[in-house]
Amino acid sequence: MSVAEIQETEEGYAGHAAEERRRLEKTWAFSSGFFGWFMEVSHTALGRRYIATAMILFLLGGIEALLMRIQLARPENGFLDPDLYNEIFTTHGSTMMFLFAVPVFQGLAIYLVPLMLGTRNTAFPRLNALSYWLFVIGALLLYGGFFLNTGPDAGWFAYVPLSGPEYSPGKRVDVWAQMITFSELSSLAASVNIIATVFKHRAPGMSLNRIPLFVWAMLVTAVMVVFAMPAVMLASTLLAMDRLVDTHFFNIAEGGDPLLFQHLFWFFGHPEVYIIFIPALGVVSAITATFSRRQVFGYMAMVLSLVATGFIGFGLWVHHMFATGLPQLGQSFFTAASMMIAIPSGTQIFCWLATLWSGRLRLNTPLYFVFGFVAIFVLGGLTGIMLASVPLDLQVHDTFFVVAHLHYVLIGGAIFPLFGGLHFWFPKMTGRMLSERLGKLGFWLLFIGFNLTFFPMHKLGLEGMPRRVYTYLPETGWGDLNLLATAGGVVLGLGVLTFLINVAVSLRSGEVAGADPWEGETLEWAIPSPPPPYNFLHLPTVSGRSPLWENWEEQPVVTGVESHRREVLVTASLDAEPDHRDILPGPTIWPFVLALGVGVTFIVAIFTPWGVPIGAVPCAIALVAWFWPRGDMGRYELKEKS
Amino acid sequence: MRERPELDVSDLPTVAFGARASIWWGVVGLMAIEGTMFAIMFASYFYLRGNAAEWPPTGAFHPGLGLTTANLAILLVSMIPMHFAAKAAHREDLAGIRRGLIVATVLCVAVLVIRAIVLSRLTYRWDSHAYGSLIWTTAGFHTLHVITGLLENLLFIALLIKGPVEDKHLVDVRVNTLYWYFVALSWVPFYVIFFLDPGLLDLSY
Amino acid sequence: MIAAPSLAFLAQWTGRHSALDPAGPQAERIGDLWWLMFWISTGVFLAVLTALLAAILRRRREEEDAPGPIAPEARHRLTRVVAGAVGVTVVLLFVLLFASVGTGRALGSLSSRQALTIRLTGQQWWWSVEYQDPVPGRMVTTANEIHIPTGRPILVQLESRDVIHSFWVPNLHGKRDLIPGHKGEVWIQADRPGVYRGQCAEFCGHQHALMGLLVVAEPPEAFAAWLEAQRRPAAPPVTPAQKRGQKLVETLPCALCHTIQGTAASGKTGPDLTHLASRRTLAAGTLPNTPGHLAGWIVDPQSIKPGNHMPANTLQSEDLQALLAYLGSLK
Ligand code: HEA
Ligand code: HEA
Ligand code: HEC
Ligand code: CUA
Ligand SMILES: [Cu+2]
Repeated sequence: MSVAEIQETEEGYAGHAAEERRRLEKTWAFSSGFFGWFMEVSHTALGRRYIATAMILFLLGGIEALLMRIQLARPENGFLDPDLYNEIFTTHGSTMMFLFAVPVFQGLAIYLVPLMLGTRNTAFPRLNALSYWLFVIGALLLYGGFFLNTGPDAGWFAYVPLSGPEYSPGKRVDVWAQMITFSELSSLAASVNIIATVFKHRAPGMSLNRIPLFVWAMLVTAVMVVFAMPAVMLASTLLAMDRLVDTHFFNIAEGGDPLLFQHLFWFFGHPEVYIIFIPALGVVSAITATFSRRQVFGYMAMVLSLVATGFIGFGLWVHHMFATGLPQLGQSFFTAASMMIAIPSGTQIFCWLATLWSGRLRLNTPLYFVFGFVAIFVLGGLTGIMLASVPLDLQVHDTFFVVAHLHYVLIGGAIFPLFGGLHFWFPKMTGRMLSERLGKLGFWLLFIGFNLTFFPMHKLGLEGMPRRVYTYLPETGWGDLNLLATAGGVVLGLGVLTFLINVAVSLRSGEVAGADPWEGETLEWAIPSPPPPYNFLHLPTVSGRSPLWENWEEQPVVTGVESHRREVLVTASLDAEPDHRDILPGPTIWPFVLALGVGVTFIVAIFTPWGVPIGAVPCAIALVAWFWPRGDMGRYELKEKS
Repeated sequence: MRERPELDVSDLPTVAFGARASIWWGVVGLMAIEGTMFAIMFASYFYLRGNAAEWPPTGAFHPGLGLTTANLAILLVSMIPMHFAAKAAHREDLAGIRRGLIVATVLCVAVLVIRAIVLSRLTYRWDSHAYGSLIWTTAGFHTLHVITGLLENLLFIALLIKGPVEDKHLVDVRVNTLYWYFVALSWVPFYVIFFLDPGLLDLSY
Repeated sequence: MIAAPSLAFLAQWTGRHSALDPAGPQAERIGDLWWLMFWISTGVFLAVLTALLAAILRRRREEEDAPGPIAPEARHRLTRVVAGAVGVTVVLLFVLLFASVGTGRALGSLSSRQALTIRLTGQQWWWSVEYQDPVPGRMVTTANEIHIPTGRPILVQLESRDVIHSFWVPNLHGKRDLIPGHKGEVWIQADRPGVYRGQCAEFCGHQHALMGLLVVAEPPEAFAAWLEAQRRPAAPPVTPAQKRGQKLVETLPCALCHTIQGTAASGKTGPDLTHLASRRTLAAGTLPNTPGHLAGWIVDPQSIKPGNHMPANTLQSEDLQALLAYLGSLK
C-alpha cells in the first residue's frame, strides 16, 4: 500500500473526529496521581521533564561557575580553598557535560522527534522512562556526593593516577565513576530509542531524503552515542575496579598504563563534544528555516556534513593528548584530521548564511540566537583549528586558552542554539508565547556577558595561566583580565536570570500561542499546543521536506490505526512505506524500579563488591516484570493459552 | 472541518519479523553497543600487551587447551538449537520453539560449568597483575552475557509453558536468537587471543 | 593566606611571562606560527561576520512572502558562492596544515651530542632538578629552579614520582607531560639571558596552582660558576646560632624529608636544601626566599600551600631563629 493509492472515503474526517478524539484521549491519557508520576511513558511528558531537569542542573553548574569566577577574580583570593575549588570545577565540568548538555538535547529529541516524524510516541516508550530515571539517579548521586563533601575533585576527565586508589583515597572519584555509568546508560538507552524511532516510525511518505534536518542531527548524534559511550563506560568501570577490587589496568607497577585511560576517555571524549554540538546544528537549521521562511539551502550538503562530522569525529581523539609526547607521525595525522573537520562545519555555516541571505527574515528572538551562534561558534571553531596544530597546542594546552575555546564552542555552538530552540519551541511545549522584549534583552545580556567572560581567557592562556588553578600570584599580571571575566560572568548570570523570569511570567500570563505561531515548516506545528497525549488526531502523511508549507490541507491522513489501544504505524526504514501496525505499552512502574535496581547496584558497589549481586536481584525482578505479558488481550493476538 | 483524503492502513498486520520490526533495531543497537565494548576491550589487551616486558607474566599457566576449546565449541554449537527455535517461531510452532530453547539452555549451562572450571584453574587473580585484570574482567563480562542469555531463555521457556503467548513473543524469540548469536560469536576473538597465545601455549601444565 | 610578595620578587622575572614573548628558538617558531594562524583566523572570522551582517541587512525586494524553497535562480548563484567558500576553506586549511607540520619538524630538529642533561622529576607539588654527570659525585641536585647556559640546547629528561605533571616554560617552549612510568624528554634553549617562570600545567591535585618553577638562563661562564658552587656540599655552620640550627635540622623531623649534603639530613620526600639560600623562591615558586617567608613556611606551610606534603612545626622562637640562621647560610 502506498501514498499513491489513497482512498477518498465518504464520511471521512469530520464525522469521526469527535468520537476518535475521545477514544484517543482515553487510550493515550497521561498517567496521573502520585504513582502515576513514576509510571509515565509519554514522550512529551518525559521530554519536558528531561529538559526541565537538565535546566536545573545547568543552573547548578552555572552557580558553580560563578563561585569559581569569584575565587579567580583577584590573585590570592581566599573565597574558596583548593579542596573546594577542585570539587567545584570538577562538578561544574561533569554537570555541564554529562548531566546538562547531553541530556538536554536528548530531552529535546525525545520531545520533538516523534512529533516531527508524525507519530504518537517513541519506538520504546518504557526505555524512555528508564533513561530518564537513570539520568535522575546519576544527578542525585553527583550532588548527593557533593553536598556530603564527597564530590569528585579530579577534573571532568579524572586522569589516573591522580584519580586512582593511591592518590584519591576516599569515595570522591567513585562517585564520579558511577555517575558516568548512570548518565551513559541513560544516553545509550535514549539513543537506541531515537534510532529505532527514526528508522521505523516515520509518517508514510517521509523517505530518508525528506527527514527534517533536526531529526537527521538527532539520528547522527544517537549513532555517535552508540559507538562512543561504551568507551567511557569501560574507562570509568575499569577505574572503579582499580579502586574497588584492586585490578591493575592503570597501575604502571603491575603492567597497567595510565595512558590507556586517556585513550579510552578521549576516544569517547572527542565524539562527546560533537554529541553536544550536532543536535544544536539541528536546532539551528530548524530556526533558520522557519525565520527565513526558506528551506535550508543545500539539504544534501547539510546531511552529508552532519554524517561526515560524525565519522571524522572518531578519528581526532589524540589531539587532546599531544603533550603526552606520542610519535610525531601519528600526531600529524591527528592534526590533519582535526583540521579537516572544519570543512563540514564550514559548509554548514555557509549554507545557513546562504539561507539567511535568500530568506525573508523575521527577526524574532530565536533567530537572534542563531546570529549569536554564528558569531561565537566560528570564533571558537577557529581557535579549535589552532589547537589542532601540535606546536601551538603544546603552548596553550591545559591553559585558559583551552577554557576559552571550549566555552566558545560549547556555549556558542550548543547553548546559544539551545536557548534559541527553547524560545522557538516553548509555545509548542506550553501553549504560551515568551515575551519578545525579555527574550531580546536576555539575548544581549548573554551575548555581551559571554564575550566579556571568555574572550579575555584567550589572552590569559597565552600569558601562561594554566587551567584548574584555584589561585595565582599577583606578579603574574593575570588579575585584571580575570576580574573582567568575572564581571562578564555576572552579566551572563543576569542573562540567564532574564530567561528564567521570561519563562515564569509567560507560564502565568503569557499570550496564548495557538498551534502554529511561527508558521512552522515541520509536523510538530500541525497539532495543538501543547500537544494532546496522542499527538496527532489522525496520523499524517507527507510528500515533501516542508510538509506544512506544501499544501498541507490536501495531504492525506492515515486511517485504520486502532484507537482503543496504543497503536502506531510502522513504516519501511528507507522509503517510509506503511509496513505494519505496532502496539505500544502504556504506563508502567517497572522502568522506575529497574532504574532503582541499577542505582542500588552501582551505589552499593562503591562500598562493597557485594553491591553487584545485591542489586542484581531487584534488577532481575524488574526486568521479568517488564517483559512479562500483562494478559491485557487487547494488545496482541493470542497464540496459545495453556 | 474539511474532508481530507485518507490512507487506510487497517489491513496491515500487527507483527513483523526481522528488520521490519522496531524491536530488531533496538536489539541491533544493543549489539552495536556491546560489540563496541568488546572491541575496545580487545584493543586494550593489545595496548597493554604492547607495553609489557613479559607477556604472559611469570606464573600464568594455560588453564588447558582442551577445556577452553570445548567451552568455545559448545557455545558455538548452542547456536544451532537457537536457530531451530527461531525457525519454529516463524512457523508459529510453539512446541518447536520450546524444544530449541530447552536444548540451547542445557548447552548454556554446560558452557557456564566449564567456564567456572577454567576460571578456577587460573593461577592468578584479577588483582595479581594487569594481565590477570584483563582476563578476569573480559571473561567476567562475557560470562555475565551468557548468564543473561540463559535467564532470557528460561524466561521464554516459562512463558511458553505457562502462557499466555501473544504473537509479539514470536518476534521476541527471533530477536533473542539474534542476540544469542552475538553472545556466542563475540567469544571467538577472545578465545584466540587468550588461549591460542603462543607464549601461553608453551606453559600448559 | 599567602604573604604579600615583595616588589623585589616581581623584578626577578625578565620580560612578560608569556608564550608570545619568546626567549628561545622554539618559542619563537611557535610564536610565528601563532601569528600566521591569528591573522588567517581573523580574516576568516571577519569575512563570516560580514556575510552574516550583509545577509541580515540586505534590502529585499517586495517579493512574495510565502514560505517555501529558495527560488531556483537564487539557488544557482548561491551554490557557486558556497562552493567557492568551501574551496577557499580547503586551501586555507592546507596552508595551516603545512605551516603546522613544518613548525613541528623545526622544533624536533633541536638537539646536540654533548648536551647538558637535566633530569626533572615532578612530584606533588614541587620539582626536583638533577644535573646529570658521568661522574656520580659531580651530579648536582636542587629544586624548583633550573639554571641553564644561554645559546646551547639542553636536554631535559622528564619523570614523575606520583601523578602526571606537565613542564611548561612559555617563553622557551611548549609543554610536555611528566607521566609516571613513561620517560619523556624535551629540548630547550634560551638565547636571551633572563629568569623565566614556568608552572605545572597538568592538574595534579590540591596544590597544582602553586607548583611553579624558574628557569634562570645565564651566560655560559656564570652558569659554570653556579654549577661549580652547587657541586660543593653545604657550607659548614660558623656562628653558634648556625651550629645550633644544623643540629636542629638533623634532630627535628626535617632530616627525614630533606637532604643537606654533608650533614646527616638525607631525606628524599622534600626538596634538597643543600644550597637553599642560593635559590630565589621557596615552595615551588610560591614565596620569595626571604628570612621572613622562610620562617612563615617552616612554622605553617599548610596555610601557605594548603594540602602540601610538609607538616607544620611548632618551634620555640630561639630555635626558629637558629634554624633560619643556618638555612640562610646555605648559599
Ligand atoms: C561543542 C563542542 C566542541 C566543538 C564543536 C569543538 C570543535 C573543535 N575543536 Fe574542540 N574542544 C571542546 C569542545 C568542542 N570543540 C572541548 C570541551 C575541549 C576541551 C576538553 C577539555 O580538555 O576539557 C576541546 C578541546 C580541543 C582540543 C584540545 C586542546 C587541548 O586540550 O590542548 C583541540 C585540539 O585540536 C580541539 C580542536 C577542535 C577543532 C579542530 C574543532 C573543529 O570542529 C572546529 C571546526 C569549525 C570551524 C573551523 C569554524 C567554522 C568553519 C569555517 C567558517 C570555515 C573556514 C575555516 C577555516 C579556513 C579554518 N578542541
Ligand atoms: C556546556 C558546558 C558548559 C557551560 C554551559 C559552562 C558555563 C560556564 N563556565 Fe564552564 N566549563 C565546562 C563546561 C561548561 N561551562 C567544562 C567542560 C569545563 C572544564 C572542567 C574541568 O576542567 O574539568 C569548564 C570549566 C570552566 C572554568 C575553568 C575552571 C578552571 O580550569 O579552573 C571556568 C572559569 O571561569 C568556567 C566558567 C564558566 C562560566 C562563567 C559559565 C557560564 O556560562 C555559566 C552561566 C550560568 C549561570 C551564571 C547560572 C545563572 C544562575 C543564576 C542567575 C542563578 C539563578 C538561581 C536560581 C533561581 C536558583 N568553566
Ligand atoms: C613529611 C616531610 C617533611 C618534613 C618533616 C619537613 N619538610 Fe620541608 N618540605 C617537604 C615538602 C614535600 C616540601 C615541598 C612542598 C611544596 O613546595 O609543595 C618541603 C619544602 C620545604 C622548603 C622549601 C624548599 C624549596 O626550595 O622550595 C623548606 C625551606 C623546608 N621544606 C624546610 C623544612 C624544615 C626546616 C623542616 C623541619 C622543621 C621541614 N622542612 C620538615 C617535606 C617535609
Ligand atoms: Cu603538578 Cu600540576
Ligand atoms: Cu577534541
